[in-house]
Amino acid sequence: MQKRKTNNETFEAAYRKLEKILAELENNIEEKSLDDIVKNYQEGLSLLKICREKLSDAELKIEKIKNET
Amino acid sequence: MQLYKDIEEEQPLTVSELNDYVKEILESNFRSVYVVGEISGFKRSYPSGHSYFVIKDEASQISCNLWSFRYNQIKCKPEDGKKVLIRGSIRLYKLRGTFSIDVATIEEFGLGDFQLKFEELKKKLSSEGLFDGKYKKELPEFPERIAIITSETGAVIEDFKKVAAKRYPSVKLFLYPVLVQGKDSVESVCSALKNANRSRDDYDIIVLARGGGAIEDLWTFNEESVARAIFKSKIPVVSAIGHEIDFTISDFVADLRAPTPSAAAEMILPDRAELLRNLELTGVTLRNYIEIRLKYLSETLNNVDKSYSFNKPKDIIREFSLRIDEIGDEIFGIIINRIKYVNENLENTRKHLVISFRSQSEKIRIYKGNFREFDLRLNHLMKERIKQIHSVINQRKKLLENLNPNTILKRGFTYITKNDKIVSKKANTEINDYIKIHFSDGEVGSKIHDYN
Repeated sequence: MQKRKTNNETFEAAYRKLEKILAELENNIEEKSLDDIVKNYQEGLSLLKICREKLSDAELKIEKIKNET
Repeated sequence: MQLYKDIEEEQPLTVSELNDYVKEILESNFRSVYVVGEISGFKRSYPSGHSYFVIKDEASQISCNLWSFRYNQIKCKPEDGKKVLIRGSIRLYKLRGTFSIDVATIEEFGLGDFQLKFEELKKKLSSEGLFDGKYKKELPEFPERIAIITSETGAVIEDFKKVAAKRYPSVKLFLYPVLVQGKDSVESVCSALKNANRSRDDYDIIVLARGGGAIEDLWTFNEESVARAIFKSKIPVVSAIGHEIDFTISDFVADLRAPTPSAAAEMILPDRAELLRNLELTGVTLRNYIEIRLKYLSETLNNVDKSYSFNKPKDIIREFSLRIDEIGDEIFGIIINRIKYVNENLENTRKHLVISFRSQSEKIRIYKGNFREFDLRLNHLMKERIKQIHSVINQRKKLLENLNPNTILKRGFTYITKNDKIVSKKANTEINDYIKIHFSDGEVGSKIHDYN
């Protein structure tokens, strides 16, 4: 399940989410419950993992498209 | 200025001096000149690799030097008979007293037609708004699917792939092989642009690329229909045609112009290494936020833990029971005070009532006295009034008695009636009338007989 989720998430989506979590923590950490903070942290870590995997695993793929006039 | 002055003053100069002056004047005034002409007498010397030729027109010629390091950079290699545009600086060769051009660049000249067509189209499309900034689409920061329209063979696609693999291998490239020069290339490029837009692959960016070449070779990308196809594209188009110095109409219409195809890859693809560094930093920042917060929370908890009240529950209980006693006392005091207050109030009310009762009975007594007095005065007044009325009545009675006819009759007067009507005048009588004479003690009938 985790693996599929990782594959489905685009790098950009994960990266944006990560940015959002970071901004959220930066600005509102004092208003957050410990539960929420831990949740954010865990989500952040898994997003980081997704992003890293996306970058590290990748191998350039190229496809030739038949150009029909 | 100083130089001219010296010459005007006709001071004799040595040859070297004159050459120095001229050299200075020439070289400082012709640091960068453009000259058009035909190349002739081209010669490359070995092993230095420097080249020498002249550039000439119908009536004149100038020697040119081309240093070997520049020769390699120049695309348009000098050839005898070639019409060229040369840029360079003037050098005076002191040994011979001749000057020559130190060549920096050579460009082929005589493409006037192309240049003209280019400027015309540029003006036309510009006035139609095809180059307007408001139509420029923004490129996604992390493209995942890129369509490349370029030649299947050649360095361009290889260069692009190389940069992409290094920078951002998670991108997927879709190659649309096209003809990049020749008469069919326009059609080929236009349909590739159309197909890429229609594709279900949902590209983030289209890259239109072609390697360097002569201006005629790049001409496809100066064609109006290609420009319009780029403009019509809903997907952002990056134009990467030729070398840095080459500008094409495609470059102006495209959403982004890259100086070369590999530069295009660098411009549109994020750098994986940098991203990874960023991610590491993000991880550290994330951890820091949480650690600082946790530290703060745990310190708060520690402070509570260490606090006097938290460590001495018995004291708290004692304190509380004392407090409860205190509160009890307070409440008791309040109740006592309340009762006292109510009592006092009752006493005050009672006193007040007694006082007011007393004053009321006093008032009654006064009123009673008053009543008696009123009564006496009233009786007296009434008696006086009755007396007064009696005397008035008596007076009236006497008056009435005087007026009573009987009283008058008693004094010796009589009155006569005829047919029960009082007769007060003689004229009302006739002889032989029966009349009644009324006395105080009765009446008598009589007949009038003596009438004179």
